[in-house]
Amino acid sequence: MTARLRAPGMPRAGLGLALGIALSYAIVLPVRALYGFEPLVDGDAVTIVALLAAPFGFLFGLGAFDYWFYWASGRPTRPEDHSGHGATSWRDYFRVNTDHKVIGIQYTVTSFFFLLVGGALAMLMRAELAQPGMQFVSTDAFNGLFSVHASILIFLFIIPVFAGLANFVLPLMIGAPDMAFPRLNALSYWLLPIAGTMMLLSFLVPGGSFATGWTAYAPLSTDAPLGQLFFTIGVQFAGASSVATALNFLVTIITMRAPGMSFWRMPLLVWANFSTSLLVVIATPFIAASQFFVLLDRALGFNFFVPDRGGDVLMYQHVFWFYSHPAVYIMMLPGFGIISEIISVKARKPIFGYRMMAFSLLAIVVLGFTVWAHHMFVSGMQEWIRVPMMITTAIIAVPTGIKIFSWLATLWRGVLHLDTPMLFALGFLTMFVLGGISGVMLAMIPVVIHVSDTYFIVAHIHYVLFGGSLFTIFAGVYYWFPKMTGRMYDERLGKIHFWITFIGFNLTFGPMHLIGMKGMPRRVADYAEQFAGWNLFISLASFAVGLSTLIFVYNMVASWRGGPRAEANPWRALTLEWQVSSPPPIFNFDQIPTVVGGPYEYGVPGAVHGVFKKPGEVAPAPAGRVATAPKKE
Amino acid sequence: MEAASVAHAEHHHGPPPANQSSRVEPQLLGMLLFIISEVMIFGAFFTAYFFIRVVQGEEWPAAGTELPVAIAGVNTAILVSSSITLHWAESALKRDNRFGFKAGMVVTFLLGATFLFIQVNEYVHIGFSPQDTAQGSIFYGLTGLHGAHVFIGLLLLLFVTIRAFRGHFSSQSHRGVEVPGIYWHFVDVMWIVVYTSVYIL
Repeated sequence: MTARLRAPGMPRAGLGLALGIALSYAIVLPVRALYGFEPLVDGDAVTIVALLAAPFGFLFGLGAFDYWFYWASGRPTRPEDHSGHGATSWRDYFRVNTDHKVIGIQYTVTSFFFLLVGGALAMLMRAELAQPGMQFVSTDAFNGLFSVHASILIFLFIIPVFAGLANFVLPLMIGAPDMAFPRLNALSYWLLPIAGTMMLLSFLVPGGSFATGWTAYAPLSTDAPLGQLFFTIGVQFAGASSVATALNFLVTIITMRAPGMSFWRMPLLVWANFSTSLLVVIATPFIAASQFFVLLDRALGFNFFVPDRGGDVLMYQHVFWFYSHPAVYIMMLPGFGIISEIISVKARKPIFGYRMMAFSLLAIVVLGFTVWAHHMFVSGMQEWIRVPMMITTAIIAVPTGIKIFSWLATLWRGVLHLDTPMLFALGFLTMFVLGGISGVMLAMIPVVIHVSDTYFIVAHIHYVLFGGSLFTIFAGVYYWFPKMTGRMYDERLGKIHFWITFIGFNLTFGPMHLIGMKGMPRRVADYAEQFAGWNLFISLASFAVGLSTLIFVYNMVASWRGGPRAEANPWRALTLEWQVSSPPPIFNFDQIPTVVGGPYEYGVPGAVHGVFKKPGEVAPAPAGRVATAPKKE
Repeated sequence: MEAASVAHAEHHHGPPPANQSSRVEPQLLGMLLFIISEVMIFGAFFTAYFFIRVVQGEEWPAAGTELPVAIAGVNTAILVSSSITLHWAESALKRDNRFGFKAGMVVTFLLGATFLFIQVNEYVHIGFSPQDTAQGSIFYGLTGLHGAHVFIGLLLLLFVTIRAFRGHFSSQSHRGVEVPGIYWHFVDVMWIVVYTSVYIL
């Protein structure tokens, strides 16, 4: 037993967790005794310190820092034996694993677990909203439901699941054996379950879970009960995870591309993750800071948001949205990348306007930082900020429009293969256009003053995050499922899943535009009689969406366990990840491939993207020109 | 676990070496990107400072309080000189002058620790607390955030110093000195910005 407690792993992680909590008592009690605070044992204070200390105890026990401790203390570091690499049993997914493919699966599965949790919370909300009046939960509990629903799905599902898919696919796509910093990669993954567990645990503390929405506006959040801090601190862990992964992606993309893979030969998924990672590295510190302010105000009595003492409450919203507007692109750009891959492969045509697709991603990155105050049109901020922000918001629709039209042009006269990934990709195109149009409407100050804080907003955000992001995620998961698991999913169940989701989604969120226009406020547990009919309809439709997710889960689990073996390249795709076996070999490539052409030359006779030969043996072809197919070795 | 290690022993050959597609070293680039995100977190704190001092137009420093500009100025000089000694240590290492390297690291570490000590001392004697006013909050917020970075930087320097005394690093391999060094220089430059905006302006 002692041996198990000393070796890195789950038993030691449990011990570390307990020690972290003990340490919090050991810190808080003497400090309170020193200052003469009464009572000596204060649950709030201990919990706050434990929220910070216990996760580090857990990570230390799990072994996330072991190598670095060796390094830092100057002891001879153990030669890399790749024992942290690869997975042969399910247990290997529950330890610090440095293999980007294992981490990719850890990320994806964990995020989907949180999707189910967040979805279940939505089902509870819709059950309460099915009729006017209060039926199942109290108003406070309802506030908790929608706050945790949004926080979980944003910070623990959409953002990390894209990181997970990219973690698996991106090194393969650029011909790298792994990510640039594999141990940092493992640490970024393990921060996630910590953040998610923390947010869910908030339901158990006295005063209930955090109930201030995912935006946690001050000073509402600085006066909220203890549960609020589970958000405030949980977000720090999710944010740290996302910054570390983004940094890792950027370094990997810049320094580890295969020979011949210039920036203009990178698949668009790589471009998308490059842009997203830039956004994450630059923007995420702002939400960290905004939550630090809340933490300092709430826990230590600082005055950042106390107007009597010179504090400024609107400052919270500025700092928060300076992250959280770019965050909507963090939640969308990787999806754009996935769709570019799928549409080109499934339409058997080169992507239309490859360079403009890449440039428009970068344009969104830059413009994304100039629009944050459009979330604050009704906040009472300085009026002169409004019109410039309205204009920049309208402008940001232009690069997005470039992408939409490029996808349409790619589809134009293509040979469409309407299987599940493609259906989700097309579903994304239509739904995202609707969400984008309501977004441009919401950019207009007169409109947003009318519909602010109504169900119109709820409809808009779900058209872009559900119809947009989630559809791309489903598309991506179906598309790379054969590569990740080595098995084929059930196509028939996949199509059933798509159609129920697609129709149920529209029936759920479409009517919200109408009742929003008529003035039904969001974030309320009860509503006027006149909205009763539509709300019942929406609730029933949302249950259909919930059930369709179960079909998806069944399909994934059953196919992973017993689906037919997948071939290396079932989609006849050109990008490098499809040129290795399914699932890929433990070190990705026996030999780093050489890239000789663009990634999307579908329908061009003899087009090749990468060849598995030594660089000297391959004559490089300029980008865009067709390379001759190498002879079979 | 056992199954995994057996499987590894069977087909253990290690990954193929990655192609280096950039002249920049991964470790260096990683640190630079990390510093970008650090700059942004300071940026958020400076946003708070801007909102309190400029947008709200609060008196700076708060009425009845004073900031020890001179002492902090001396402290600034201490931190800046620690950057110089760190550079000295690095160039000594590149000439394989081990004594200079070790002495430089020790002096750098001590200068950094002195800075932190004076900073904490300043908190004790400054006469206002973050709970008093928003100006106090952001004063402690900015200098405290910077102090936390000095602390992390000192930890990194400590690691380097320990390894220096254990005989690690040479003129051929000094990335482990360079990367923490960049971080320390960043902490230093950031202090000049904090000092200028909080104490002088």
